[in-house]
Amino acid sequence: MPPTATASVRVSHLAKNYGPVEAVRDVSFELFPGEIFGLLGQNGAGKTTTIECLLGLRSPDVGTITIQEIDIQADPARARQRVGAQLQSAALQDKITPQEALQLFASFYPKPADTDSLLTQFGLTDKARAPFDSLSGGQKQRLFLALALINDPEILILDEPTAGLDPQARRELHRIIAGLKSAGRTVLLCTHNLEEASTLCNRIGILHQGRIIASATPAELIAKAHAHPWISFRTARPLDSARLAVLPNVTSHKPEGNGWQVETTEINRTISSLARILEADKNEMLDLQIHQPTLEDVFIELTGQAWSEDKPEETS
Amino acid sequence: MSAGKLLSGLAQHFLLSLKLNFRSTQALVYGYFVPIFFLVAFGSVFRGEIPPLLHQMGQLLTISILGGACFGLPTALVAERERGVWRRYRLLPVPTGSLIASTLLVRLIIVGSAAAIQILLARLVYQTPLPGHSGQIFLAFIFVSFAFLGLGLLVAALANDVPAVQALGQCLFLPMIMIGGVGVPLAVLPDWAQRVAGFMPGRYAVDLLQRCFTDPNGLQGATFSMIALVVIGTAAGGIGLKLFRWESGRRVNRSTFAWMGIALLAWVAVGLAATATGRLDPVQPDAVAYESITEEQIDQITYEGLPGDNELVTRLSPPFKPDKTPERARAFAHQLKTWSLGYAEDPGQAVRNLLSVAAIADIGADLREAEIGRVVFDELRARYEHDQLCHILAWVILRPSDGQVITRVPELRLRRNLSESMVRERSVLYAKKYLGRLLRKLPD
Repeated sequence: MPPTATASVRVSHLAKNYGPVEAVRDVSFELFPGEIFGLLGQNGAGKTTTIECLLGLRSPDVGTITIQEIDIQADPARARQRVGAQLQSAALQDKITPQEALQLFASFYPKPADTDSLLTQFGLTDKARAPFDSLSGGQKQRLFLALALINDPEILILDEPTAGLDPQARRELHRIIAGLKSAGRTVLLCTHNLEEASTLCNRIGILHQGRIIASATPAELIAKAHAHPWISFRTARPLDSARLAVLPNVTSHKPEGNGWQVETTEINRTISSLARILEADKNEMLDLQIHQPTLEDVFIELTGQAWSEDKPEETS
Repeated sequence: MSAGKLLSGLAQHFLLSLKLNFRSTQALVYGYFVPIFFLVAFGSVFRGEIPPLLHQMGQLLTISILGGACFGLPTALVAERERGVWRRYRLLPVPTGSLIASTLLVRLIIVGSAAAIQILLARLVYQTPLPGHSGQIFLAFIFVSFAFLGLGLLVAALANDVPAVQALGQCLFLPMIMIGGVGVPLAVLPDWAQRVAGFMPGRYAVDLLQRCFTDPNGLQGATFSMIALVVIGTAAGGIGLKLFRWESGRRVNRSTFAWMGIALLAWVAVGLAATATGRLDPVQPDAVAYESITEEQIDQITYEGLPGDNELVTRLSPPFKPDKTPERARAFAHQLKTWSLGYAEDPGQAVRNLLSVAAIADIGADLREAEIGRVVFDELRARYEHDQLCHILAWVILRPSDGQVITRVPELRLRRNLSESMVRERSVLYAKKYLGRLLRKLPD
């Protein structure tokens, strides 16, 4: 982001406790116009608490939050008018229709978005008069996104928008979220989905045990990590471990099933050397896969814990 | 946000909530089918009374309002909260209480329409007279609903989930039904239960609503019941609003129970005030005062000096010839047959009420005054046996200050508000004319 840009959202030294439990500690980040900032963390990391403080649903114990220079605690109603939000574990009445829901929420804002346009934009025109309980999971999430845009906000806060969706619905929602960014909106995306974060977000803050332990673009985070790419392969005849140890740029190797896993600092050189060895031994490569470091590797390296793709965190 | 925008949003929320209620089978069953079921149940039990259900309408309506407010409201609120609907609402730039107020108003309409359906069905199916004080029944409904909706809001704040609403709701519902004067009439409850009922809002709700059907004075003299309901409703509703939870997950804690205790203190305060003012003295079945009148007393009544039937006061038409009753007399007779105050539980009071009608028409110089005098006489003879009617008329003559008296009857198009003493005086004159005719001491 340009250093001169004014932050749309500024969170400074946020802390929130629930009794003896420290849900969020000293969390600070900024969102700049037109970017998607991902808050990445596992269950209980403090994502939802951070969002709820940001929306004025909970009062922070320490810290300040401003939305377009409006202090959320001093004037929550005015600040909320600038923000659209899709909350995890929010729902609508079973028998309300998308059209009715949009019209209801629109009626509370001075300059609401056009409800028919939102229905069209989110592919809900055919379901405009269908009861909420007859919508699919993807349609419901699209409706919640439409509701988040009902006040035509510049800032959007999305809490696990793709949780529980099938891959197709998830891809559809990714397309929509990317479209929001293209339309110039600022998005705070809370997710525990690594692929979603690295695909959609300009910048990511990794939240772990209530703290932001790293914050940068996905590429920078991966680049800063010490994890190396690796290859895994199988050969027609067994390959001696000593032959792999002498391959250039290899930092480690270990057996994997009927083949080997080799970590390297330079994939191209390692693969071409491996090909030469196999040719000299009159051996044959059966298959080969290349793995680049991911955010999961970054997370493991930063926390020492494995990443688990479980269900989204419950509201604290 | 401007006030206009807020009101427009709340109006939209109100209308949509009402619409959604009618889309829910469960809401329709609990909101309308159950009250109708209670009506049929009461109608089956009390079908022998004449007219049926008139003296149970206060109880019946109280049960409906209590059910709608203490079960319907919190069930809907908690179900929506558990689903996350209120969590989403909270993001709206509107004051906290305004959406709750809109929800309460929706429930008021639902409960009110269920009560209106009960009144109309009772009229159509059982010929139960409509409330004698049609304007006051609305006022009574507002007071009763205020108290019970306040309790419903408190239940919603305390209950963690829908099953808990049922449990808490029953804690309110059952005691009021069994010993609170709502399901079982106060007069048949033991003394201790009647005193306990004085600490519960149900007793005061039944009192207000029943007065509108059978008390000649309507809500006059019901100030204590109104205050009791306002105190209980304000305490419960205020604390319910304070403890209102927007989302599931947050559970009640010790301070919540302390607040609940404060809400119950309002019940105690009302009960103690009722005790201190003698309102909880046991209610006995009404004494039949006219039975104390002896035959000797009746014989001693004289009829000299009564105005003639065509003079200025106490005019009385000659008997209508068969099939030649004037149309307006026939129409009035029809209205009188369904006039609820003419069916007061105590026959003595019922006759006094009917005499008041003749007296009011006479004092007010109604064009139909003579015909009304005759219609009332015919109606009295049709409703009561000769001896009983003679005793009651003699009681009115000999104890003109006993019982209560009606001073205006707008529902019968007798709108002038007259002084009580004049109506009592004129009632005695009509009673003499009627008694003299019944005993053949006066020509008819």
